[in-house]
Amino acid sequence: MSNNTQLITEEQIDFLREMMNIGAGNAATALQQLLQCPVDLTIPRVHVFPAAQVSSILDNPIEPVACVRMGMVGDIGGAMFFIVPEESREKLVKIAEKAQLGSRILPGRKHGEEGLSAIVEIGNILSGVYLTSIHEFCGLNIYHTVPVLAVDMIQPLLDEALIKTSLQIQAAVLIENEFVIEEHHIRTLLLIIPSAESVKPLIDSLEQAKKAYVSA
Amino acid sequence: MSQRNITIKMGEGAVTNAPYIISSSGIGSCVVVTIYDPRRKMGGMVHIMLPDSNSVNGRGSPYHYADTAIVTVLGKLYNRGAAQQNIVAKMIGGAQMFICSDDSAPGIGKQNVSSIRQILQREQIPLSGEEVGGSYGRNVEFYLDSGKVIVSTAGKKEDVEL
Repeated sequence: MSNNTQLITEEQIDFLREMMNIGAGNAATALQQLLQCPVDLTIPRVHVFPAAQVSSILDNPIEPVACVRMGMVGDIGGAMFFIVPEESREKLVKIAEKAQLGSRILPGRKHGEEGLSAIVEIGNILSGVYLTSIHEFCGLNIYHTVPVLAVDMIQPLLDEALIKTSLQIQAAVLIENEFVIEEHHIRTLLLIIPSAESVKPLIDSLEQAKKAYVSA
Repeated sequence: MSQRNITIKMGEGAVTNAPYIISSSGIGSCVVVTIYDPRRKMGGMVHIMLPDSNSVNGRGSPYHYADTAIVTVLGKLYNRGAAQQNIVAKMIGGAQMFICSDDSAPGIGKQNVSSIRQILQREQIPLSGEEVGGSYGRNVEFYLDSGKVIVSTAGKKEDVEL
Protein backbone atom coordinates (compact mmCIF):
# COMPACT_ATOMS: atom_id res chain seq x y z
CA MET A 1 0.00 0.00 0.00
CA SER A 2 3.03 2.25 -0.36
CA ASN A 3 1.74 5.00 -2.58
CA ASN A 4 4.71 6.63 -4.09
CA THR A 5 4.97 10.35 -3.86
CA GLN A 6 6.79 12.33 -6.48
CA LEU A 7 9.38 13.22 -3.90
CA ILE A 8 10.62 9.90 -2.64
CA THR A 9 11.76 6.88 -4.65
CA GLU A 10 10.79 3.23 -4.07
CA GLU A 11 14.42 2.48 -3.14
CA GLN A 12 14.38 5.22 -0.52
CA ILE A 13 11.12 3.87 0.90
CA ASP A 14 12.65 0.38 1.10
CA PHE A 15 15.62 1.80 2.93
CA LEU A 16 13.31 3.65 5.32
CA ARG A 17 11.53 0.33 5.98
CA GLU A 18 14.87 -1.29 6.78
CA MET A 19 15.65 1.49 9.26
CA MET A 20 12.25 1.16 10.89
CA ASN A 21 12.65 -2.62 11.19
CA ILE A 22 15.81 -2.12 13.17
CA GLY A 23 14.01 0.50 15.26
CA ALA A 24 11.22 -2.00 15.92
CA GLY A 25 13.72 -4.50 17.36
CA ASN A 26 14.84 -1.87 19.84
CA ALA A 27 11.22 -0.99 20.57
CA ALA A 28 10.45 -4.57 21.62
CA THR A 29 13.39 -4.55 24.05
CA ALA A 30 12.37 -1.22 25.53
CA LEU A 31 8.74 -2.31 25.98
CA GLN A 32 9.84 -5.57 27.57
CA GLN A 33 11.71 -3.56 30.19
CA LEU A 34 8.77 -1.25 30.76
CA LEU A 35 6.09 -3.94 31.00
CA GLN A 36 8.29 -6.62 32.57
CA CYS A 37 7.02 -9.39 30.32
CA PRO A 38 7.99 -10.85 26.93
CA VAL A 39 7.05 -8.62 23.98
CA ASP A 40 7.06 -9.91 20.39
CA LEU A 41 6.95 -7.41 17.62
CA THR A 42 6.01 -8.33 14.08
CA ILE A 43 7.81 -6.56 11.23
CA PRO A 44 6.29 -3.09 11.07
CA ARG A 45 4.43 -2.05 7.95
CA VAL A 46 5.74 1.27 6.72
CA HIS A 47 3.66 3.41 4.36
CA VAL A 48 4.81 6.64 2.76
CA PHE A 49 2.26 8.90 1.10
CA PRO A 50 1.36 12.55 0.53
CA ALA A 51 -0.07 14.04 3.73
CA ALA A 52 -3.32 14.87 1.93
CA GLN A 53 -4.00 11.14 1.61
CA VAL A 54 -3.58 10.37 5.31
CA SER A 55 -7.29 10.71 6.03
CA SER A 56 -8.20 8.28 3.25
CA ILE A 57 -5.77 5.68 4.58
CA LEU A 58 -7.31 5.85 8.05
CA ASP A 59 -10.30 3.74 7.01
CA ASN A 60 -12.84 5.06 9.49
CA PRO A 61 -12.80 8.80 10.41
CA ILE A 62 -14.94 8.27 13.50
CA GLU A 63 -12.94 5.33 14.88
CA PRO A 64 -12.39 5.88 18.62
CA VAL A 65 -8.69 6.03 19.47
CA ALA A 66 -6.21 7.23 22.03
CA CYS A 67 -3.72 9.57 20.42
CA VAL A 68 -0.48 11.04 21.71
CA ARG A 69 0.77 14.12 19.87
CA MET A 70 4.41 15.15 19.94
CA GLY A 71 6.07 17.99 18.10
CA MET A 72 9.34 17.25 16.28
CA VAL A 73 12.19 19.72 16.65
CA GLY A 74 15.86 19.74 15.66
CA ASP A 75 17.14 18.93 12.16
CA ILE A 76 13.63 17.90 11.11
CA GLY A 77 10.52 19.77 12.29
CA GLY A 78 6.93 18.60 12.23
CA ALA A 79 4.63 16.44 14.32
CA MET A 80 4.27 12.81 15.35
CA PHE A 81 1.11 11.02 16.42
CA PHE A 82 1.07 7.73 18.30
CA ILE A 83 -2.37 6.19 17.77
CA VAL A 84 -3.89 3.26 19.65
CA PRO A 85 -7.30 1.95 18.49
CA GLU A 86 -9.87 1.38 21.26
CA GLU A 87 -9.62 -2.41 21.34
CA SER A 88 -5.83 -2.33 21.67
CA ARG A 89 -6.08 0.46 24.22
CA GLU A 90 -8.21 -1.66 26.53
CA LYS A 91 -5.72 -4.52 26.29
CA LEU A 92 -2.77 -2.23 26.90
CA VAL A 93 -4.43 -0.72 29.95
CA LYS A 94 -4.91 -4.22 31.42
CA ILE A 95 -1.28 -5.13 30.76
CA ALA A 96 -0.10 -1.86 32.30
CA GLU A 97 -2.21 -2.47 35.40
CA LYS A 98 -0.87 -6.00 35.72
CA ALA A 99 2.69 -4.73 35.44
CA GLN A 100 1.82 -2.15 38.11
CA LEU A 101 3.19 0.50 35.81
CA GLY A 102 1.29 3.15 37.70
CA SER A 103 3.01 2.65 41.00
CA ARG A 104 6.43 1.87 39.51
CA ILE A 105 7.08 4.65 37.04
CA LEU A 106 4.11 6.96 37.18
CA PRO A 107 3.61 7.74 40.85
CA GLY A 108 1.01 10.26 41.88
CA ARG A 109 -1.49 9.33 39.18
CA LYS A 110 -5.10 8.94 40.13
CA HIS A 111 -6.53 5.46 39.85
CA GLY A 112 -7.81 4.92 36.32
CA GLU A 113 -5.31 7.30 34.79
CA GLU A 114 -2.56 4.70 34.86
CA GLY A 115 -3.66 3.00 31.68
CA LEU A 116 -3.74 6.21 29.71
CA SER A 117 -0.43 7.28 31.22
CA ALA A 118 0.99 3.96 30.08
CA ILE A 119 -0.10 4.79 26.54
CA VAL A 120 1.73 8.12 26.74
CA GLU A 121 4.81 6.30 28.03
CA ILE A 122 4.67 3.66 25.30
CA GLY A 123 4.21 6.38 22.65
CA ASN A 124 7.20 8.15 24.12
CA ILE A 125 9.33 5.01 23.90
CA LEU A 126 8.26 4.03 20.39
CA SER A 127 8.75 7.45 18.89
CA GLY A 128 12.09 7.68 20.69
CA VAL A 129 13.43 4.43 19.22
CA TYR A 130 12.36 5.31 15.69
CA LEU A 131 13.92 8.76 15.96
CA THR A 132 17.10 7.10 17.28
CA SER A 133 17.06 4.77 14.30
CA ILE A 134 16.80 7.73 11.93
CA HIS A 135 19.63 9.39 13.84
CA GLU A 136 21.88 6.34 13.63
CA PHE A 137 21.39 5.89 9.89
CA CYS A 138 20.98 9.45 8.68
CA GLY A 139 22.85 11.42 11.31
CA LEU A 140 19.83 13.68 11.82
CA ASN A 141 19.19 14.95 15.33
CA ILE A 142 15.45 14.97 15.90
CA TYR A 143 13.82 15.40 19.29
CA HIS A 144 10.20 15.26 20.26
CA THR A 145 8.39 17.71 22.52
CA VAL A 146 6.37 16.74 25.60
CA PRO A 147 3.70 14.22 24.58
CA VAL A 148 0.05 15.27 24.96
CA LEU A 149 -2.74 12.68 25.04
CA ALA A 150 -6.33 12.94 23.83
CA VAL A 151 -9.01 10.26 23.39
CA ASP A 152 -11.63 10.83 20.69
CA MET A 153 -12.53 10.00 17.09
CA ILE A 154 -9.45 9.72 14.89
CA GLN A 155 -10.23 12.38 12.29
CA PRO A 156 -10.81 15.30 14.69
CA LEU A 157 -7.56 14.39 16.43
CA LEU A 158 -5.63 14.61 13.19
CA ASP A 159 -7.52 17.28 11.27
CA GLU A 160 -5.39 20.22 12.38
CA ALA A 161 -2.20 18.42 11.30
CA LEU A 162 -3.81 17.32 8.05
CA ILE A 163 -5.10 20.82 7.30
CA LYS A 164 -1.68 22.35 7.78
CA THR A 165 -0.15 19.93 5.32
CA SER A 166 -2.91 18.98 2.92
CA LEU A 167 -2.35 21.91 0.61
CA GLN A 168 1.33 21.31 0.13
CA ILE A 169 3.03 18.39 -1.56
CA GLN A 170 4.51 16.52 1.34
CA ALA A 171 5.36 13.07 2.46
CA ALA A 172 3.99 11.51 5.64
CA VAL A 173 5.21 8.24 7.10
CA LEU A 174 2.85 5.80 8.79
CA ILE A 175 4.36 2.92 10.76
CA GLU A 176 1.95 0.14 11.73
CA ASN A 177 3.20 -1.97 14.61
CA GLU A 178 1.73 -5.14 15.95
CA PHE A 179 2.89 -6.40 19.32
CA VAL A 180 2.13 -9.68 20.96
CA ILE A 181 2.24 -9.26 24.73
CA GLU A 182 1.30 -12.44 26.52
CA GLU A 183 -1.72 -13.59 24.49
CA HIS A 184 -2.81 -10.08 23.50
CA HIS A 185 -2.39 -8.72 19.98
CA ILE A 186 -1.95 -4.97 20.09
CA ARG A 187 -2.02 -2.74 17.05
CA THR A 188 -0.58 0.75 17.12
CA LEU A 189 0.17 3.40 14.52
CA LEU A 190 2.89 6.00 14.48
CA LEU A 191 2.27 8.83 12.05
CA ILE A 192 5.18 11.12 11.27
CA ILE A 193 4.39 14.35 9.40
CA PRO A 194 7.51 16.39 8.63
CA SER A 195 6.98 20.12 8.16
CA ALA A 196 7.01 21.41 4.57
CA GLU A 197 10.57 22.69 4.81
CA SER A 198 11.84 19.46 6.40
CA VAL A 199 10.79 17.05 3.67
CA LYS A 200 13.71 17.77 1.35
CA PRO A 201 16.46 17.58 4.02
CA LEU A 202 14.92 14.33 5.26
CA ILE A 203 14.90 12.75 1.80
CA ASP A 204 18.40 14.04 1.00
CA SER A 205 19.75 12.50 4.22
CA LEU A 206 17.91 9.28 3.46
CA GLU A 207 19.53 9.13 0.01
CA GLN A 208 23.00 9.76 1.40
CA ALA A 209 22.56 7.18 4.15
CA LYS A 210 21.23 4.65 1.64
CA LYS A 211 24.33 5.08 -0.56
CA ALA A 212 26.63 4.75 2.45
CA TYR A 213 24.74 1.68 3.67
CA VAL A 214 24.81 -0.06 0.28
CA SER A 215 28.53 0.59 -0.25
CA ALA A 216 29.47 -0.48 3.30
CA MET B 1 -40.59 8.05 5.65
CA SER B 2 -37.68 7.74 3.32
CA GLN B 3 -35.21 10.53 3.88
CA ARG B 4 -32.26 10.98 1.64
CA ASN B 5 -28.82 11.50 3.04
CA ILE B 6 -25.81 13.34 1.63
CA THR B 7 -22.49 12.93 3.42
CA ILE B 8 -19.75 15.50 3.03
CA LYS B 9 -16.10 15.08 4.02
CA MET B 10 -13.51 17.56 5.23
CA GLY B 11 -13.18 20.39 2.69
CA GLU B 12 -16.45 19.56 0.90
CA GLY B 13 -19.83 21.26 0.64
CA ALA B 14 -23.36 20.53 -0.60
CA VAL B 15 -26.47 22.57 -1.40
CA THR B 16 -29.88 20.88 -1.53
CA ASN B 17 -33.46 21.03 -0.23
CA ALA B 18 -36.01 19.09 1.85
CA PRO B 19 -36.32 16.19 2.54
CA TYR B 20 -32.57 15.69 2.40
CA ILE B 21 -30.27 15.37 5.41
CA ILE B 22 -26.68 16.53 5.00
CA SER B 23 -24.21 15.00 7.45
CA SER B 24 -20.52 15.22 8.20
CA SER B 25 -18.38 13.32 10.73
CA GLY B 26 -15.19 13.76 12.66
CA ILE B 27 -15.06 17.56 13.01
CA GLY B 28 -12.15 18.73 15.15
CA SER B 29 -10.57 22.11 14.50
CA CYS B 30 -12.56 22.34 11.26
CA VAL B 31 -15.91 24.16 11.35
CA VAL B 32 -19.14 23.02 9.72
CA VAL B 33 -21.46 25.87 8.71
CA THR B 34 -25.10 25.26 7.82
CA ILE B 35 -26.97 27.93 5.86
CA TYR B 36 -30.76 27.65 5.61
CA ASP B 37 -33.72 29.38 4.04
CA PRO B 38 -36.73 28.14 6.09
CA ARG B 39 -39.29 29.51 3.64
CA ARG B 40 -37.95 27.55 0.73
CA LYS B 41 -36.68 24.67 2.87
CA MET B 42 -33.36 24.73 1.11
CA GLY B 43 -29.89 25.08 2.43
CA GLY B 44 -26.24 24.20 2.22
CA MET B 45 -23.53 22.86 4.45
CA VAL B 46 -19.74 23.16 4.29
CA HIS B 47 -16.96 21.44 6.26
CA ILE B 48 -14.45 24.31 6.37
CA MET B 49 -10.75 23.65 7.03
CA LEU B 50 -9.05 27.06 7.11
CA PRO B 51 -10.05 30.65 7.96
CA ASP B 52 -8.77 32.47 4.89
CA SER B 53 -8.05 31.50 1.29
CA ASN B 54 -5.49 34.29 0.91
CA SER B 55 -3.15 32.77 3.50
CA VAL B 56 -2.35 29.80 1.25
CA ASN B 57 -2.96 31.44 -2.15
CA GLY B 58 -6.37 29.80 -2.32
CA ARG B 59 -5.18 26.41 -3.53
CA GLY B 60 -7.74 23.64 -3.63
CA SER B 61 -11.53 23.78 -3.53
CA PRO B 62 -13.40 26.96 -2.46
CA TYR B 63 -15.02 24.77 0.23
CA HIS B 64 -11.67 24.52 2.04
CA TYR B 65 -11.73 28.13 3.26
CA ALA B 66 -14.23 30.11 5.34
CA ASP B 67 -14.30 33.16 3.05
CA THR B 68 -14.79 31.34 -0.25
CA ALA B 69 -16.95 28.49 1.15
CA ILE B 70 -19.65 30.71 2.64
CA VAL B 71 -19.84 32.97 -0.41
CA THR B 72 -20.05 29.92 -2.71
CA VAL B 73 -22.95 28.38 -0.77
CA LEU B 74 -24.79 31.71 -0.55
CA GLY B 75 -24.36 32.21 -4.31
CA LYS B 76 -25.84 28.79 -5.04
CA LEU B 77 -28.78 29.42 -2.71
CA TYR B 78 -29.51 32.83 -4.25
CA ASN B 79 -29.38 31.22 -7.70
CA ARG B 80 -32.02 28.75 -6.56
CA GLY B 81 -34.26 31.55 -5.40
CA ALA B 82 -33.38 31.86 -1.71
CA ALA B 83 -33.82 35.33 -0.23
CA GLN B 84 -31.06 36.86 1.86
CA GLN B 85 -33.46 38.26 4.49
CA ASN B 86 -34.75 34.73 5.29
CA ILE B 87 -31.41 32.99 5.57
CA VAL B 88 -29.93 31.89 8.90
CA ALA B 89 -26.64 30.14 9.64
CA LYS B 90 -25.32 27.81 12.34
CA MET B 91 -21.76 26.77 13.07
CA ILE B 92 -20.30 23.71 14.72
CA GLY B 93 -16.73 22.67 15.54
CA GLY B 94 -13.57 24.73 15.99
CA ALA B 95 -12.21 22.55 18.78
CA GLN B 96 -8.69 22.42 20.12
CA MET B 97 -8.15 18.70 20.46
CA PHE B 98 -4.84 18.67 22.30
CA ILE B 99 -4.58 20.91 25.34
CA CYS B 100 -1.02 22.10 25.93
CA SER B 101 -0.11 24.50 28.67
CA ASP B 102 2.46 26.18 26.41
CA ASP B 103 0.08 26.97 23.53
CA SER B 104 -0.30 30.72 23.57
CA ALA B 105 -1.33 31.42 19.96
CA PRO B 106 -4.96 30.65 19.05
CA GLY B 107 -5.28 27.32 17.20
CA ILE B 108 -6.84 26.85 13.79
CA GLY B 109 -10.19 26.05 15.44
CA LYS B 110 -10.49 29.48 17.08
CA GLN B 111 -9.25 31.23 13.95
CA ASN B 112 -11.88 29.42 11.87
CA VAL B 113 -14.68 30.40 14.27
CA SER B 114 -13.71 34.07 14.39
CA SER B 115 -13.27 34.29 10.62
CA ILE B 116 -16.70 32.72 10.03
CA ARG B 117 -18.35 35.19 12.45
CA GLN B 118 -16.87 38.11 10.51
CA ILE B 119 -17.86 36.72 7.11
CA LEU B 120 -21.45 36.03 8.17
CA GLN B 121 -21.70 39.54 9.59
CA ARG B 122 -20.35 41.02 6.36
CA GLU B 123 -22.85 38.96 4.32
CA GLN B 124 -25.62 40.03 6.75
CA ILE B 125 -26.54 36.47 7.66
CA PRO B 126 -27.63 36.05 11.32
CA LEU B 127 -26.11 33.24 13.34
CA SER B 128 -29.04 31.36 14.89
CA GLY B 129 -27.08 28.62 16.66
CA GLU B 130 -23.58 27.47 17.46
CA GLU B 131 -21.74 24.66 19.25
CA VAL B 132 -18.07 25.60 19.03
CA GLY B 133 -14.78 25.33 20.94
CA GLY B 134 -13.92 22.78 23.59
CA SER B 135 -11.58 19.86 23.04
CA TYR B 136 -13.75 17.14 21.57
CA GLY B 137 -14.69 15.93 18.09
CA ARG B 138 -18.20 16.38 16.69
CA ASN B 139 -20.58 14.88 14.12
CA VAL B 140 -23.33 16.94 12.48
CA GLU B 141 -26.69 16.14 10.85
CA PHE B 142 -28.56 18.96 9.10
CA TYR B 143 -32.26 18.34 8.38
CA LEU B 144 -33.43 20.35 5.38
CA ASP B 145 -37.14 19.86 6.14
CA SER B 146 -36.88 21.82 9.40
CA GLY B 147 -33.43 23.42 9.48
CA LYS B 148 -32.72 21.42 12.64
CA VAL B 149 -29.08 20.56 13.33
CA ILE B 150 -28.08 17.67 15.61
CA VAL B 151 -24.55 17.65 17.02
CA SER B 152 -23.20 14.41 18.51
CA THR B 153 -19.84 13.43 20.00
CA ALA B 154 -17.97 10.22 20.77
CA GLY B 155 -19.50 9.95 24.23
CA LYS B 156 -18.08 13.29 25.39
CA LYS B 157 -21.45 14.90 26.00
CA GLU B 158 -25.16 14.62 25.24
CA ASP B 159 -26.37 15.31 21.72
CA VAL B 160 -27.20 18.97 21.17
CA GLU B 161 -30.01 20.27 18.94
CA LEU B 162 -29.48 23.66 17.30
